[in-house]
Order: sequence, then structure tokens, then C-alpha cells
Amino acid sequence: MCNARFVLGAFAASLLIAGCGRGQPVQETPTPIEQPPGRTPQEIADSIAAERARQDSIRAAQLAAEQAAQRAARAARQTLEGTVYFDYDESTITSATEAALRAKVEVLRANPGVRLRMEGHADERGTSEYNIALGNERAESVIQFLTNFGLSGDRFSSVSYGEEQPAMQGSNEEAWALNRRVEFVITAGGDSIVGS
Amino acid sequence: MRARHTGASLASPAGSSAGPAAHARIAPGLIAGILALLAGAATPPPSAAQEPEGQIPGVELTLLYENLYIPPLAILPFRTTGDSPETGALVHGIVARDLDYSDRFRIIDSLPALWNDQQGVQYAFWDQYGVDWLVIGTVERVAGSRFLAVELHDIVTASARARGRFPLPAPDDPGFRMAVHRVSDEIVMWATGEQGIAATQIAFRMPALGDPASKEIYIVDSDGANRRRLTWDADLAVSPAWSPDGSRLAYTSYKSGVPKIYEIELATGTERMIGPGGSGQQHSPAYHPHGGEISFTLTDRGSKGVVSYNIRDGCCLRMLAGGRAPNIQPAYSRDGRTLAFVSLRLGSATPQVYTMPSEGGTQTLLSPYRYGQGGYFTDPDWSPVSNQVAFAGGIVNRRTVGRYHIFIADLDTSDNRLIQLTREGNNEDPSWAPDGRHLVFKGERRNGLGIFIVDAATGRQRVLVANVDAEDTDWSPWLGNSGGAGQSPGNLPRGGR
Repeated sequence: MCNARFVLGAFAASLLIAGCGRGQPVQETPTPIEQPPGRTPQEIADSIAAERARQDSIRAAQLAAEQAAQRAARAARQTLEGTVYFDYDESTITSATEAALRAKVEVLRANPGVRLRMEGHADERGTSEYNIALGNERAESVIQFLTNFGLSGDRFSSVSYGEEQPAMQGSNEEAWALNRRVEFVITAGGDSIVGS
Repeated sequence: MRARHTGASLASPAGSSAGPAAHARIAPGLIAGILALLAGAATPPPSAAQEPEGQIPGVELTLLYENLYIPPLAILPFRTTGDSPETGALVHGIVARDLDYSDRFRIIDSLPALWNDQQGVQYAFWDQYGVDWLVIGTVERVAGSRFLAVELHDIVTASARARGRFPLPAPDDPGFRMAVHRVSDEIVMWATGEQGIAATQIAFRMPALGDPASKEIYIVDSDGANRRRLTWDADLAVSPAWSPDGSRLAYTSYKSGVPKIYEIELATGTERMIGPGGSGQQHSPAYHPHGGEISFTLTDRGSKGVVSYNIRDGCCLRMLAGGRAPNIQPAYSRDGRTLAFVSLRLGSATPQVYTMPSEGGTQTLLSPYRYGQGGYFTDPDWSPVSNQVAFAGGIVNRRTVGRYHIFIADLDTSDNRLIQLTREGNNEDPSWAPDGRHLVFKGERRNGLGIFIVDAATGRQRVLVANVDAEDTDWSPWLGNSGGAGQSPGNLPRGGR
């Protein structure tokens, strides 16, 4: 609800009505313009334009900051949720995986309220119970890596799906490589992630 | 009298002079005999340099069962009194297939046109025809009740071996087929003195029809008929395990978000969680033979491995094989005193089968691991009648990746003699039948996936269910007393002798 009580001039009134009509986000109530007597209509118009420009620039700056923060949060979320991959029958962290996990460490440090569930997977080769164990080993070695950086293990849980939920169907190297993985699910603190 | 081959001829293939006195066709110690034969016939193991890639040292790769005598059995078309010929043909078909699937007889299905059983069994005729056993059956319908009367005749001794009369539900009754299977097992018992496996079922899991992302538990009869779905969780349901009395089935479900062990009471369909509470993941349940305890794989922060848990009182979680490397897939021995399990302690790419006392204790490597060669061995299952452990695996290298076979290790031999039962495709999840002779497993062949059955005594394989992506096969105990899932037949009287 716009408060028009302080509106003095017809120009200002029309501007504010326009401002009201634009709706969200609700703007700050403009500072009431003290109108010294004897100003010309031109002076009044200039003053209003200047004030509008000032508010626009504040809004733009706020918007840019918000967008930057959102971008950073989105990037942080992507960093957290990025899947990491493993070699055949292995649960050791490869150098490529290590870089991805170090980036997660930074985000997790900046977001102490975030909790993660590590979901371990295996490719279809091998027996199913073995692959469940292998998926658990992969999730466990990711958690071990993160806690080695001083992060609390209480923030992480894990579950293994073995070979049951392939990311890509198919019995070829491409599918197998995509299926040997740990996925990351944010289980708490996901609404307030900030960039690191 | 025609000379008869016997089980004894196994030990000396040239000798076939055993008469009626040596009437044991398939002796109880058959498999042991075969193993002994194999042990005697085994050539000295070649040196490592000569071994073909992927071959396991000390493993008998060839099935040498040609000397096993399979007695011919003729089964006459079943007569009917007061019932339709169709019912007689239906029952006859089930019994004939059961006897064939027992792998204890060679079924004679093309019978001579001149046979005449109206004036009693013509033993001399059947003897000339080369038949050892003759089955005669009649489906009787009296005042709304049905009976299946069967006779087993021993042609070699020219005498009736046994006859019995068994109540039979109507063909559209859910317990009909299981009642017929039970009669088939009775015939096997009369002829061999050993329990048949017709009245059994196999549990497994596979993608649900119409919902390929979910895995559900299914059950099928031993002859491949009567496949039905047991779980409707629309989630992951894996590793079904029969209780020792066949009345319950345990399995692991992800439906709570964390894999936990549940148990279904088959007669009522009611389900309960039987594992301990807590955050841990629970997999691979196996019942202790007394039924009041399970062993399973626990994966929890700071404690993972093979554990046991008292499901009767809901207490007493015990870590039996813990440690840093995963220990998984427990399987009890028939007396419950020993557990076989799989450990990844030698490397995540080389899982091996171990044994240990079921109270925990010294762990012994069972599978044929040799340093530098690797090897991938999982899915142990202990024979319900002997000290034989089946498992799946192979030497894994570039050429043999994913090529797993079914093996049996005989712990009663001094060197844990190994026999390889499959030779083609990929084979996993072996599970013993209650006769300790047949095994069910998941097989992959050039022409598709399926559930297979192999007879360890003859090496004969058959497809149980074709074209299904089934895993975690588990063979039930004999269900002649309980009736199994979805069945409600009464107890059958023992046939006369």
C-alpha cells in the first residue's frame, strides 16, 4: 500500500502513482520532497528527475549485488552437488576427483549449516552385493577426504545403490564410466547457501 | 535278469555287473563319490607358466559325469475315474516334468503302442523295453473330493516298490500345483530314498513390469510355473532369503531411504522390520538354521561388517567380522556353526570368500586366491546337506572381465577341491536346492538373461525363467509341509511302501 500523504505537487503525485503501479518489489517510500515556495515548475521537475536517478542507481546496485550473490550461491550449490567419478573396481580418489572435492570443502566451510548425503554407485559389472559394498566404499572415501580437511563427519551420511541406479543405460565404457560415481544430495541448509 | 548299472559303477566305469542286490541306483554319497572320482582323475596341476589365462589352478574345469547311470523311467498316461481326461493329462504333465527335472531318471515319453496295464504290470515287457522304473497314476474324483493315486514299479525286481493315494485340490485351486509337486517328490523318495525338489520355490528380484526403475521380489515354482510378485514398494527390494521353515522371507528394501531388512510372513502377507534400529545400512540377510537369528551386512559410521542379530527377541547385535575393509554376504553352514562371507580385504578389485565360526573367530580364505593373479569371488551359499560351498567368480583380467562362473568348494576334502559348474556366459548368485545337488543362479548367455538351474551331479542345465533381468536368486527349503507362498494345501499322508 502506497502512502500518498506527503505528496504535495501534481507531478510528484503522478510519479508515485506510476511507482505504485509498477508494484514489486515494493520500493522504499521516497523521501518527502520539501518544496520551498517560489520554485519554478522546471526546477521542481529537475529535482524529481535527480531523485529518481539516485534511487534507480541504488536499486541497480542492489540488484547487481543480489544477482552476484545468487550466482555465487548457485555456483556453490553446483559445486556441492557435482558428481565425482571413479576408476573400475576402485574407490580411491583420483586427481580429477580431488580438485572437485577441494572445491566442495571451500563451500562447506562457508556454509556450516549444510549437510550432505553421499550416494555411491557402481557400474553393472561385478555381482550386485559386491557393487553395493563398492558404492559404500566410494561414498566413504569421499567422506574421509572431506573430514581430513577438518569438516565434521556429522554433516555427512551415505547410502549405496550399487549397480541399481545407473546414470546412463548401456553396456559400454562410456556408460560404465558415468555410472562409477558418488552423487551428492543436500539434506539440510540448502535454502541459505552462500558462495565461498 | 538284465544287468543293471548302479551308482557303484561310478567308481569303476567298466564294471556293470551289479545285480539286484546292489540296488542302490543313486547312492546318498553320490556327489562325494563323484568328487572322489574327480580327485583320482585329476592330472597334476600344470605350472603357472603353462596355465591359460583366466584358468584357476587346482580347479577341475571339465564335467566328467558321463559314467553316471540315469535309470530310465516310464510314466504311463494317467487314467481318470470320475474326472475329465484333461485333468489326468494336466497332472501327468506336471509329474512327468517334475521327475525329469529331478535329474534322477531318464524319462521315457514315447511309449510303445502295445503296452497294456489292465492285467497288471507286464514286468517282462517293460524289462525288455529297457525301463527300470514304471509310474502308473490315476486321478480319482469321489463325492467332490479328488485324489491322485500313484504306483511306482521296480521293473528290475519285478515288484511294486510303493503306492500312495493323495488328496488333490481342484485344478483351479491355488494349491493344486504344489500338491502335485509333493506327489512327484514322494515318487522320487520311493525310488531313491532322497528328498526331491519339486515342491520348492525360488525367490529372486527383478525390475517390476511397467516400472523398470524399481526392483521387486518375485517367487516362482521349481518348474518355472506360477511366477508372482511379492513386494509392491515401487523402490529397490533386493536379496530375498527364505527362512529355514519356508514360512517367511527376509529381504532388503530401500523404501525408508536407507536399506533395511524386512520380513514377510508368506501365509498372511504381513511384513515387519526385523533388523536393529539405527542409521546403518542393512544388506544380505541370511537366516541361522534355527530361524531365530539372522546374519547380515551392516554399513554404519564407524562399524561395518558381517553381524548377527537375534530377531526373536529383537536384541543382541554382534559384530562378527568387522574392520576397515568391507566384509559382506554372510551364509550359514547347515549346522549354523560356520559362516561363509565375502571380504574385500585383499583389494577392492579382488573380493574373496572366507569362512569363520558363526560366533566370530578365526577367518579362513576359501576361494582360490593366488598373489599376483587376482581373482574375483562372491555370492557364497552353503549346501543345506553337506560341507560344500557354492560361489560365483573367476580370475579377472582383460580377457575375462565380467566372466563369472559357478563353483563348488568341497570342505570335506583335504584341499577344498573346487569344481566349476558353468562354462559359458556370465553366472552369478548361486543358491542350493534343499537336495544339496541342484543350484539356481542368474545366467547371462549370448541370447539373453535368465534364471538357470544346474544339477551338480550330472552337469545338466535348464532355464527356469527366460528373458528376465533377475538377480539374487534364493532357493526355498522343501515346502511340502508349509505349502509355500500363496498356497494353502493340507498335509499329505505318507505313501505306503
